[in-house]
Amino acid sequence: MTNVAPDMARASVAAAAITEAARPKRKVNWVFRFAVGWLALVVVICMLGELLPFVKDPNERDAQAISQGPSWDHWFGTASFGQDVFSRVVIGGRISLFVGFAVTVIGIALGGLLGLLAGFLRGWVDAVVRVIISVTLAIPALLLVIFIVAIQGQSLRTVIIAVSLLAIPALARIVRGSTLQVADRDFVKAAKVLGVKKLSILVREVLPNVMPTLVSFAFLTFGIVLVAESSLSFLGLSVEAPTITWGSIIGEGRIKFAETPHMVFLPGAVLFLTVLSLNFVGDQLLKRFDIKESGI
Amino acid sequence: MIVVLIILLVIAVLAAWIVRTAGWRFALQRLGSALLILVLVTFITSFLLRLVGVEESQREVLRELGLSENAQPCVSALGTGATFDEVNRCVDERGLDDDPFTQYAKWAGDVLRGDLGPAFYKSGDAEPLTGTIAQRMPRTAWLFLYSQFIALAVAVPLGIWSAYQAGRPPRGIPKIAWPIGVAAMLIVSWAFGWTLAAVILLALLVPTAIYHGLRGGRGGDTAVNMLAFVLLSVPAFVLGETLRYVFSIQRGWYSLSGYAPWGDGVGTHLKSIWLPALVLGLAAAPVYLRLLRADMIQNLQQDFVAVAKAKGMSNTHILLRHVLRPSTVTLLTVAGLNIAQLVNGAIVVEFIFDFDGMGSYLLEAVARREFFAVQTLVALVAVLFILANTIVDMLYTVVDPRVRAQAPT
Repeated sequence: MTNVAPDMARASVAAAAITEAARPKRKVNWVFRFAVGWLALVVVICMLGELLPFVKDPNERDAQAISQGPSWDHWFGTASFGQDVFSRVVIGGRISLFVGFAVTVIGIALGGLLGLLAGFLRGWVDAVVRVIISVTLAIPALLLVIFIVAIQGQSLRTVIIAVSLLAIPALARIVRGSTLQVADRDFVKAAKVLGVKKLSILVREVLPNVMPTLVSFAFLTFGIVLVAESSLSFLGLSVEAPTITWGSIIGEGRIKFAETPHMVFLPGAVLFLTVLSLNFVGDQLLKRFDIKESGI
Repeated sequence: MIVVLIILLVIAVLAAWIVRTAGWRFALQRLGSALLILVLVTFITSFLLRLVGVEESQREVLRELGLSENAQPCVSALGTGATFDEVNRCVDERGLDDDPFTQYAKWAGDVLRGDLGPAFYKSGDAEPLTGTIAQRMPRTAWLFLYSQFIALAVAVPLGIWSAYQAGRPPRGIPKIAWPIGVAAMLIVSWAFGWTLAAVILLALLVPTAIYHGLRGGRGGDTAVNMLAFVLLSVPAFVLGETLRYVFSIQRGWYSLSGYAPWGDGVGTHLKSIWLPALVLGLAAAPVYLRLLRADMIQNLQQDFVAVAKAKGMSNTHILLRHVLRPSTVTLLTVAGLNIAQLVNGAIVVEFIFDFDGMGSYLLEAVARREFFAVQTLVALVAVLFILANTIVDMLYTVVDPRVRAQAPT
């Protein structure tokens, strides 16, 4: 969860506004459709889980098939006790995606609120929020999460809280910047002059204009959180053992790497494609919602 | 001692320079806010320690044993073999019964005096943490340095090239490139095995091919952009494991025999560190690449570029001397902020490659429940990060006079 990521995304959008002005517009953005399709596929398969005919019991051991490569029976091969890796990826994805989703929702709700208030009210609220943001962003993300998880014990709740502590200030910073821009525009000033109540301006004028940025960054944050949680469980510091996550499957596969490379590469590819899709969707939305100065 | 003196000297020179160029008020304001954040961050990490064993059941057990109910961190650190006296001494030493402020003051005082406590309580001989840091820090420092070098070596030329290509009329890949590409891949897979060929194929050809098929024209820029996107989306541990499989397990080009210092010869030193540095560098490169490209595209729109072009300067001269210059300033800031990402990456990469640096020490300390050492380390890393960013922040104003005029937010 770098503080650099949003700046990078913003700068790229500004550059895209320049480069794409000269290019012919494509009618259908196929990559965008692929990305959305992949995300939908992953979410649906992980939610349905055991209900699907091709998903087996992820913990069922099969002495006949130990550490086998991918085959028609076991799409992603088998683990060192003969468990079906594809089923483990499906069931493990549930936890990984749930952590990502929960953290993104918490981050948007609390971080968004902090950022909105700071950017709109300014003054001491802004000062306090800015200090909170700088303090949390001063500690390297993974380090802080590892520390908190080590102290509080490795449970789903702790992992979600620890990662949220990082998502909240990161999103607050983005929303604050965006609110500052919106609050400076003419229609907000006009509402102020007309004597509309502050709360009403915030909810009816500012919030709808900050929302698009927030939604785009929700996708980017989801991707970052997914990587953070997977790194944590890869290191064996996330939710404890019997619970499966994408990171823990990869962490398990690396131990006997030469025998079970499929346990690293295939879940890794699923994770990579999911993060890639999230990043791409977030980036495209940001581009689409980008307010051009000339358009105002 | 000499290291501390050199650091103090560097800070003094920097401070003098900044005061001269940016003025007292600005320098003090920056230093003041850095100091405030520094104190708050270290206080929070020290406060987090109090959350160890906060549950009533654990406190009950400790009370029944006749120990202080705040003794849980000491009990975890000392392990099951500890005597009551040892635990009580540890509680006193660490001030666990005091209020948070006294405890923090105690910790801060110890750290400022250079006493970081033992690296591992359990090991018995109680080696000081400073010794462990002195032994392991150089390894991580070299890793950082090489990875930054690799990241910039990848990002800067590619960034400049793709920013230049972005504004050129669309050009397809010449037809001859496809058979040459296929032949090259065949040679690579014949000589070095299919996995390496697959890695190169994934990294280069797939994004290029997809984008050529879908967008047409300006292939160079879009391909580089897509490469950056792919690298950005690969989790560091997936990239690390993939490269370890290809280069270490299959090829044997990198052996996990451990770190060799400079004293063992430059070749041995580089051989022992190149793959972790490459992974960390490739993870950092896309951030620099995308920022530099975006920044240069914006700068290329400026009037001074048109003037330079009208004066008849060559494209290379304009790109390298006129456009790259202001963009370096942005790159500098980002490099400062990116240290946090490097620390995250180092923890993962050192774990993957069994590299005995600070990252793997940290994981070991966490696994052994040595919370005091972990807390001190987290605080120290945060302090280093804040210092680095304050210096970069100030350098920014020194390098770019425009920033000094406006109040930075």
